[in-house]
Amino acid sequence: MFEPPLQRVIDELARLPGIGLKTAQRLAFHLLHVEEADAVRLGESIIELRRLVSLCGRCFNVTAEQECTICRDLRRDPAIVCVVERAQDIAVIERTGEFDGRYHVLGGALSPIEGIRPDQLRVRELVARIDDEGIKEVVAATNPTVEGDATALYLARLLKPLGVTVTRLASGLPVGGDLDYADEITLGRALAGRREL
Amino acid sequence: MWLTWLELDGWRNYTTLSWQPDPGVNVLVGSNGAGKTSILEAIGYLSAIRSFRGTGDEGLVGVGTDRAVIRGGFAKAAGESRVEVEIPRRGRRRVLVNGKRPPRLATVAAQFPVVAFLPDDLELVKGSGSIRRGFLDDLGSRLSPGYGATVGEYEAVLRQRNALLRQDGPAVDLVALQVWDERLVAMASTLWAERVELIDRLAPVLGAAHDKVAGGTATLAVGLDPAWGDRRDVVDAVSFDTGDAAERLAGALIERRRRELEQRTTTVGPHRDEVRLALAGRPLRTEASQGEQRSVAVGLRLASYRMLAEHHGHAPILLLDDVFSELDVLRTAAVMELLPQGQVLVTTTRHDEQHVVGRSWEVVAATVS
Repeated sequence: MFEPPLQRVIDELARLPGIGLKTAQRLAFHLLHVEEADAVRLGESIIELRRLVSLCGRCFNVTAEQECTICRDLRRDPAIVCVVERAQDIAVIERTGEFDGRYHVLGGALSPIEGIRPDQLRVRELVARIDDEGIKEVVAATNPTVEGDATALYLARLLKPLGVTVTRLASGLPVGGDLDYADEITLGRALAGRREL
Repeated sequence: MWLTWLELDGWRNYTTLSWQPDPGVNVLVGSNGAGKTSILEAIGYLSAIRSFRGTGDEGLVGVGTDRAVIRGGFAKAAGESRVEVEIPRRGRRRVLVNGKRPPRLATVAAQFPVVAFLPDDLELVKGSGSIRRGFLDDLGSRLSPGYGATVGEYEAVLRQRNALLRQDGPAVDLVALQVWDERLVAMASTLWAERVELIDRLAPVLGAAHDKVAGGTATLAVGLDPAWGDRRDVVDAVSFDTGDAAERLAGALIERRRRELEQRTTTVGPHRDEVRLALAGRPLRTEASQGEQRSVAVGLRLASYRMLAEHHGHAPILLLDDVFSELDVLRTAAVMELLPQGQVLVTTTRHDEQHVVGRSWEVVAATVS
């Protein structure tokens, strides 16, 4: 147990994802020795983050406005929506420059073990958007995990009867890599999903 | 392949150990509880990232420490690989192969062939079906990373489906249940295809190994009874049809839905398969003498060794945990034929062990000298 003000910082930091007790202690002792202005700037940036940034009312991306920049962009195709587990995933897909539709952040993937059911994800909100926005295709870009695959399948079962095409990101080999370096399992999947040329 | 060095830290009863075994035969001598088996278990863990004793990770961390660490070097003709595992008392374990996290754990077991003969191997024949499934899946995972990944994925889907049934029972979201059914069926038919193919490869090797051990001519048959519905059939690679298997399981899940919603667990699928072993037509589990059962148990280990040796093009590491007290002369001789081939680590309580000649190590209170 440290002095209460120090212990409080350690406890708060240790609650963050990926930070254990040792790292929390190291960070707290570091903060103890930084310039006061630096510490204030860090504290204020966290407060501002909460005050100024919220979730897009349409797709649940992070935004400082009512709606995110992607949803407000009139050049983007409203008929195609890419569904991701987390808001961070949007940035990854945006960097490809290959997608010009809108997004929808589910907030996770189905996982009964963790108690995550469909009603804990933003599925209802997605269904409501189908009619409102005239969505024709939903791209299920959930992670290629047991949970992400099940979630994609769930969306397909739910949305196909509404006349929506549901597609899934293909899985396969990293581009530009040698076959030598692909792990056997990825290569096996790629082989199973081979296409005629 | 051979183990060139091993370091333990907080593993079981070892505070710390740094050891360089011989590339040939190593005999670990010590009294019960001295820590002989823990060394073999550590080598097994390093090669497959699980304990051959079936102990969960929390049971492997020594008393009074917050983490167990195993490090070791596996040498092959192509060079040495360094494998490191850190198991914290709480939280996620860390695995590094040559300093890097492997893309998947299933790639580790398929890289480092190790075969262990254990004192309770008789259970392979006598014990419950889960022990034989475990044997089969361990062998499959060591032969191909795809097999290991399939087992892992099937088990993950099964756990999710069981959690859904357990939590929601009859109140379950039907679309969600159908999704897990579909995933279960897909992974089950992949796993069945893997298991059936493996049994077809295993059968002739096991037959030959068993002939050598038992010295007899009684035909040993091995087959898979897949639990895809109420009926179980013995299948082989020729008769197995993935589409048919998927259809039968999907049908069984629908048929049993009401019952499963009440029992709140998955009652059909590869997790209920039986690996059938029969000697001259008699089921070995129930209608065989202990001697016959023991010969088949030894045969299963010998066959694993042969298959891994052939697959990798070099001898696996052989771990013999106090097995001579359990084996008679003939069976011992069959095991001994493997000794010249590669590295062997033997544990024994006897200083005058006559079956093996090799470098002798004294194990006392979790130290090796």
